[in-house]
Amino acid sequence: MRPETIRPRNLAAARPLRHDRDIAMTDAKLNWRTFLLVGPAALFTVLFFVVPLAAMVAVSFTAGGAASLDNYRHFLTQPSYVKALVNSLEVTLIVTAISVVVAYPLAWVLAERVPERWQRAALMLTILPFWTSYVVRSYSWLLLLAERGVVNRALMATGLLDQPLQLANTRAATVIGFVHFFVMLLTLTIYANFKQLSPSYRKAAADLGAGGVQTFLHVVLPLTLPGIMVGAFLTFVLAIGDYVTPQLLGGSNELLMPQLVIQQIGRRADLPLAAALSLILMLVISIAYLACARWLKLDRT
Amino acid sequence: MKRLIDLLAGLYALLAYGFIYLPIVVLVLFSFQASRFPLPPFTGPSLRWYGEVLGDAKFTHAMLNSAVLGVVSSAVAVLLGFLAAYGCARMRGGMGNTVRALLIAPLSVSYLIIGMGLVVLFNAVGVPKSLFAVGVGHVVINLPLCFAILYSQMNDNIIRLEQAARDLGAKEWQVLALVVAPVLWPALVASFVLSLTLSWDEFLIAFLLTRFETTLPVEIWTLLRSGLNPKANAIGAIVFGVSVVMVVLAELAIFGRGKKQKS
Amino acid sequence: MSAKRSSFSAGLGLLAFSASVLAFSPAGATEELNALVWCDNTDPALIEPFEKANDVKVNLKVYEGTGAGLSILDQSQPGDWDVMVIDSIDVQRVAKERFLPLADDSLPLANQFPEVRMDDILVLDGNRYAVTEKWGFNAISYNSKAFSAEDVSTLKKLTDPKFKGRLAIYDYYLPVLGMASVATGTPTKDFSDATLAPVKDLMLQLKANSKLVGEVSASQTALATGEVDVVVGAGEWVTAGLHAEDPNLEFVIPEEGGILWSQSLAILKDSKKQDLALKFVQHVLSPEGQAALATSSCYWGMPAQKDAALNDEQKKTLKFSSEQQAKDLAASNRYPAPDPELDKKMQDLWNDVLQAN
Repeated sequence: MRPETIRPRNLAAARPLRHDRDIAMTDAKLNWRTFLLVGPAALFTVLFFVVPLAAMVAVSFTAGGAASLDNYRHFLTQPSYVKALVNSLEVTLIVTAISVVVAYPLAWVLAERVPERWQRAALMLTILPFWTSYVVRSYSWLLLLAERGVVNRALMATGLLDQPLQLANTRAATVIGFVHFFVMLLTLTIYANFKQLSPSYRKAAADLGAGGVQTFLHVVLPLTLPGIMVGAFLTFVLAIGDYVTPQLLGGSNELLMPQLVIQQIGRRADLPLAAALSLILMLVISIAYLACARWLKLDRT
Repeated sequence: MKRLIDLLAGLYALLAYGFIYLPIVVLVLFSFQASRFPLPPFTGPSLRWYGEVLGDAKFTHAMLNSAVLGVVSSAVAVLLGFLAAYGCARMRGGMGNTVRALLIAPLSVSYLIIGMGLVVLFNAVGVPKSLFAVGVGHVVINLPLCFAILYSQMNDNIIRLEQAARDLGAKEWQVLALVVAPVLWPALVASFVLSLTLSWDEFLIAFLLTRFETTLPVEIWTLLRSGLNPKANAIGAIVFGVSVVMVVLAELAIFGRGKKQKS
Repeated sequence: MSAKRSSFSAGLGLLAFSASVLAFSPAGATEELNALVWCDNTDPALIEPFEKANDVKVNLKVYEGTGAGLSILDQSQPGDWDVMVIDSIDVQRVAKERFLPLADDSLPLANQFPEVRMDDILVLDGNRYAVTEKWGFNAISYNSKAFSAEDVSTLKKLTDPKFKGRLAIYDYYLPVLGMASVATGTPTKDFSDATLAPVKDLMLQLKANSKLVGEVSASQTALATGEVDVVVGAGEWVTAGLHAEDPNLEFVIPEEGGILWSQSLAILKDSKKQDLALKFVQHVLSPEGQAALATSSCYWGMPAQKDAALNDEQKKTLKFSSEQQAKDLAASNRYPAPDPELDKKMQDLWNDVLQAN
């Protein structure tokens, strides 16, 4: 059914569009309705997110059944634990930086150089690999980067190398695995940003005499920064909390935080310590969120 | 100069797509491996692993579980997110900010914590580990995304539109279903597809909250923990193939219709 | 109106969820046995004959690491699980609160290898709480094309620079630290705080030579694909299954002695299907069950029963009942059994080693 087919109760009663002030007044009257609309989602979030989180916080301050700061103390006094956090931060920042640098030009090409009618197809092509299993894809990378894997064989066959590169089971492999995933994600967010840019900005810059590079640096780049920041933040959050990629590709040559957390659940059934470590991770993410808050404000268009 | 830029652009796109598709190509290629390890040399095409996968009820069952779970939890997430976004758009000031902050809070929390929190909660209340529990977990992670996407689309134009509709005599549910939803259709579809994608491939929460009836990622993980196997490649290739088909169909169905409407 | 819409959608949501809950609840028709197991117990050759003979469905959940298994039990309701595979060394700490005592005469104990009956840790206060089903060694697996048995005959030899980048370490701290302890002169039963320093020293040297630290499948793959040539902590359970594909993969017990691993089967105290569970245990201990378990596709190992129905080829690969094996058994150590304090220190040591580079 289309809007036009709604029959007005009384044509004579149809009034002209009201002002914003009137909309605000109408909002006040509709408050109970608003609660009913927002209610289910809010209730769900409180029940299945806030309550469990509170439980986790409570549990993290216990050890052996009694209230204790032991878990947090353990984290701060164990060099291998602190190193895990440092490793996580290093890897995540490297991954975010590389992914942005690789994805931005691709998004630009898709938004600006590919003809309109092919754009959606090209975009689809970019994110189609999302639909192979993440776990299987990670294993594929492990095999690709193995000493006798496809990458090394190709490089040696073309004579670029005479010794195979040690890529698999290293931080490099973890980074490559992550970058592969996040380039796809970032291309999406930056592309969306590009599409929202009004061409009039660029025309205005051209009218004012700016060349291509200047327009890019001073007009396009700042305007696409929100898309970059949103994508970068998402990358940061998802990467720092991921267990699968570092576990499969890193060869346990170093540990990242999620591996440490799963280790506590797996080896020692130490839920309080696992909870404490998870909350420390969450703290780091919250700090990152505050740093990016400027670009992440939820605004309506 | 423009030619040069076009050439560089094309080259860059080619390299980027090459990087993105490299593991996919290798994955699919070695799903046809004849010998035990999905490693070079490629020992001739064989359908052996596809046969084993399709004949293994565990995997076909897990695929079905993942699909149904994905569709149901995504639908719930989109619905709740849509209603909440619509409602929130009319809430101004402090109250609105609080609710918005609450609804997108789960985005900054790792799946690990969400999963573990639910484990603790369900255990205390006595809800058994099951796909239902995973479904709840998936709605928790997808609701904020749907809400964020839909809320960002709720601009003043929409409010004017619904005012107009109400003035013309439409009831509240008609406004929602017949005016706002169609206008937001692309955003609704985008949220649904995004939620479906994230749910379909989600491993950690499914791992923590299922017992025997599991989802595909958990089943694959278990398979791979017992030794590297081209079976996993076969599964990955099948899933990929099915998604390509679905995407093409969706493209024709949704956007094909859109084109018709425009003309 | 909005209320109607809200409740309508809420109702729809509830309906959808109920449907999915119903769809996903386990069927009630055939009888079911719920087993918490290691990956080798899921082999169809072991499970299917039992299912057919008793007209039941065996539900299997694979777990790794006793801690994870206990977590799963903690998060379950009583009666959720019927049988469990568990590291023999861990039986003591959970037996009384979790497991059902087994009657000795219901089990073919007379036919077990005496060294793996392990009555001292499986029988508490006169009650047997678990029975050994499979065992093997944590030793040194290697590719005989790259190195000879002599090259890898002791753990300390592996710190030599010629092994740089060719080593993998099995990611389980208990047996590997046990091996290091034995290599530095302390039998595992004497593992104490004082043992930590020399063990850490040796481990750091080994880590410097290693390319990865991996669990079962990662270690197998790395050895099979030539990524590494030696795996510390591996044994027949890594190489035996791959022997068919690559006969160069061998294992050797270090001169100072290897570590004996064993997995046992227990029945959960609050299982609602105790008779069926016992039948399952008996099936696993039967000659056919033992043969299937020993040659499981996940990893091979020695059957606990001497009368396992293995063929000669399989026996040779496992060094079954050979003179060499008797010697190996005599020289072997059990897993270290630390108290919680020492255990925590050992795990922290392990993490320190992992983080070192």
